Amino acid sequence: MPETSKMKKPDVKVVLLGDMNVGKTSLLHRYTERKFKDTISTVGGAFFLKQWGPYNISIWDTAGREQFHGLGSMYCRGAAAIILTYDVTNWQSLAELEERFLSLTDTANHDCIYAVVGNKADLTDPTAQQSQDTDGMSEDQTECEDRTEPEVLSTSLTSSASPKQVTHEDAMALYGRILRYKGLEEKSSLPAEKMCFETSAKTGYNVDTLFETLFDLVLPSILRKRNEYQESPTVDLEECRGGSSKRARSSCC
Amino acid sequence: MERDNHQEGEAQGVKICDPPSERKPPDTLATSLSLLGNHMFPDPVERNNSTTDKEEPADLHLSDVTAQEQSLDAEPPSNQVKKLETEEAENSECQSNESAETTDRGAEDAADRVTEDAAAVDNDQSDSGEFVVTMLAKAKLEEQGIGVKGRSSPLLEAGTQESPAFMSHRDEDVTADSWRQHRKHVFVLSEAGKPIYSRYGSEEALSSTMGVMMALVSFVQSGDNIIRSVYSEQHTVVFLQKGPLVLVCVSSSRQSEQQLRGELLYVYYQIISMLTQASISRIFEHKKNYDLRRLLAGSEKILDGLLNLVDSDPSFLLAAIHCLPLASSLRDSLSQILQKAITPNLVFSILIAKNQLLTIVQEKTVIEDTRLEPADVHLLLNLIGASSAFQAGEIWTPICLPLFNPDCYFYAYISYLDPPECTVCLLLLSTDKEAFYAVAECKRKIEEAMVAQNSLSLIAKAQSYSVSQVGVSDLRHFMYKPFDVPDNYRQLSQFTSPEMEAPYSSEEEKMRLLDLYRYMHSRIHSTSRPLKLIYHVAERETLLAWVTSKFELYTCFSPLVTKACAITAITKLLRWIKKEEDRLFIRYPPKYSTTPNPSKSSRGGKSDQQDSTDNGFLSLL
Ligand SMILES: Nc1nc2c(ncn2[C@@H]2O[C@H](COP(=O)(O)OP(=O)(O)OP(=O)(O)O)[C@@H](O)[C@H]2O)c(=O)[nH]1
Ligand SMILES: [Mg+2]
Repeated sequence: MPETSKMKKPDVKVVLLGDMNVGKTSLLHRYTERKFKDTISTVGGAFFLKQWGPYNISIWDTAGREQFHGLGSMYCRGAAAIILTYDVTNWQSLAELEERFLSLTDTANHDCIYAVVGNKADLTDPTAQQSQDTDGMSEDQTECEDRTEPEVLSTSLTSSASPKQVTHEDAMALYGRILRYKGLEEKSSLPAEKMCFETSAKTGYNVDTLFETLFDLVLPSILRKRNEYQESPTVDLEECRGGSSKRARSSCC
Repeated sequence: MERDNHQEGEAQGVKICDPPSERKPPDTLATSLSLLGNHMFPDPVERNNSTTDKEEPADLHLSDVTAQEQSLDAEPPSNQVKKLETEEAENSECQSNESAETTDRGAEDAADRVTEDAAAVDNDQSDSGEFVVTMLAKAKLEEQGIGVKGRSSPLLEAGTQESPAFMSHRDEDVTADSWRQHRKHVFVLSEAGKPIYSRYGSEEALSSTMGVMMALVSFVQSGDNIIRSVYSEQHTVVFLQKGPLVLVCVSSSRQSEQQLRGELLYVYYQIISMLTQASISRIFEHKKNYDLRRLLAGSEKILDGLLNLVDSDPSFLLAAIHCLPLASSLRDSLSQILQKAITPNLVFSILIAKNQLLTIVQEKTVIEDTRLEPADVHLLLNLIGASSAFQAGEIWTPICLPLFNPDCYFYAYISYLDPPECTVCLLLLSTDKEAFYAVAECKRKIEEAMVAQNSLSLIAKAQSYSVSQVGVSDLRHFMYKPFDVPDNYRQLSQFTSPEMEAPYSSEEEKMRLLDLYRYMHSRIHSTSRPLKLIYHVAERETLLAWVTSKFELYTCFSPLVTKACAITAITKLLRWIKKEEDRLFIRYPPKYSTTPNPSKSSRGGKSDQQDSTDNGFLSLL
């Protein structure tokens, strides 16, 4: 970019993609704020900076609405990791990943890693109804007081009593097709078992695991980038917007 | 507009509302209405599109309508003449309170007023069919390009309402009475009769109702007319056709047709702000029965929010901006901060606190030949209000300013400067889609400067003012829109207004005062009989509205005020405003120059940046 700014560019970029209403914003909110609360359908894209140890990770939460389709490839430009999100109770949301979102990832890095994430697992899977969130338990309960019953929530959302429509196997099959689309060897890539997640933004199930797995996986990409720009001083990066990552976790790296 | 299209649309509309039996296109408005009516009545009446079966009571109603319609210039049936007279009597009672009012009015005019003045009309139980037929039965037609040519006359005594309206949402039962009770319905549909948006209830559930509306629009259109409005005792139905979209408002508020049409226009503009006019036209050229909800899915809340604002915020009525009162020195320093934090292709920098404007700074060349329309600012504020629930992030989104240029996108950077409170919002508009990081950098500069100058805590202290500060007893509230703020009006229409305080602190009372203002406004801006001064003694307050070449003013006094008192009070008020002008208004909107070669594209229509007219979703068609 030609600007003469001294903006400290984030080290690495992670992008959330997926149809509207699958819970991208909720996932990110659960991860950064440890809460599940009402969201409004995202417009365009929203940029967040996450401090991960000494690194700055930028996360783009994009809008799933068709209205913003044209912007997707811009948000994906140079991405190191892309989270393809679907809703486990909605088959179409998985299909959309392939039909609408996969082509947007063409602008991502060549070594970009992909995760396929089935959200709203709490609606179908009893184990996902228990919070895995270690430090956010109490908050979680207060936030969700009036929506403890998944059924209530789901009727207001998808009008069906939410049977599981997408199995883990479906997701893994999609992951295989993504690798093929990217022209990647299955053997030399990250295995589907590792890159397909089922999560619940509502209970926090698997949410930290998802983000932290990805962050750890993009570290090599960060380090390579740093070596390319040897002159880029670490100090600068660290002081950059410490404020926006109050919840930075000491456990990282 | 192609004539063929209309035909096609009509065929669609009629198809929706008529059972799949044999049918031929209606050849008069009467048959058309009869057709619609037959469909809408739940009782299985004969469906053949004739006006001959008169046994059923429901049909009898209809034939009344059709009779009237067929002889537009003839006398209405006698039982209705009687009704008309009563209402006229009611009217003149109402009017007698208004000194600055001419009282001559014909029967036609009286009929117009029926909607406004019929406060207590007896309630008839009715079904949704009658409701719609009642709404649609009385078409006031306007010859294309010529003045009002139609007739309005009182309606059938059906379609009245029973209990007050309450909270609503999209899952509402559209056959329930409570649905019909809503004060103001708004529907958006495509020319092919496809539902796009409904303020209450789901579009799916309303598709046949919308089909009826579209059939009526197309029918009138096929005779080279435009349907403008329909009046019934309780409702005013206003139609607005914009390109391939048809917007319909069904209102039981006492607002004028002109005001309601203005509100529909805001709805249209908000849709444009999300999709651009060019894209919408292209989509429908491409595929006439495209389901626009695909593209608007998720935006319903933005339209809902807009309609709530339109009802509760007089900015929309006055077409002016309400800025937060601020010491001019503070406002200037904020403007300077914005002026310094610039980057190529940045065109507007806007600072907002508590949903009100603090300051707005504009790129020189962009603004040279134009001004930012208040409506565009209103749409921006609504978008921010409706879409920033998750306020920690920095938003980057395309947005079109329809009055600035309906065919191009700006890219809006939206970020809150005071998390976690999130009351101070920075909005930066760029013409460059890729400029996110550069624009985000501007925000960082602004943040730094504001910390250095302690601006945030100063802004936090800023608030709207109380009418008591004016020091005029009996004055309860006012709205003042100057036309002569130096250097300014040409760029940004503004108005000032104190907080609404007791007795207007409850939502109902607020709304009641706003309704009174809306009524005064409609009289001032009446197309047929505009007024300059109205002194209106209402039951619980006295209002005075006054428009001059320098300002437009609406005041509300306690009911005991005398006319002489009110006049002195207004003199004092004007003096006070003059004194406070620097604080109440943005006096000198500053400008900056960001661009060595400013991208004129956002103004020019045909742009060098292709994506500014196509957000990419056309590829999905
Ligand atoms: N039961 C359940 N509901 C969820 C979960 N995650 C999100 N939701 C609900 O799903 C709806 C959509 O969530 P969002 O996070 O706004 O979806 P999104 O993907 O960001 O949607 P767009 O911004 O329009 O693309 C909201 O009503 C959430 O409350 C989840 O894990 N479980
Ligand atoms: Mg979202």
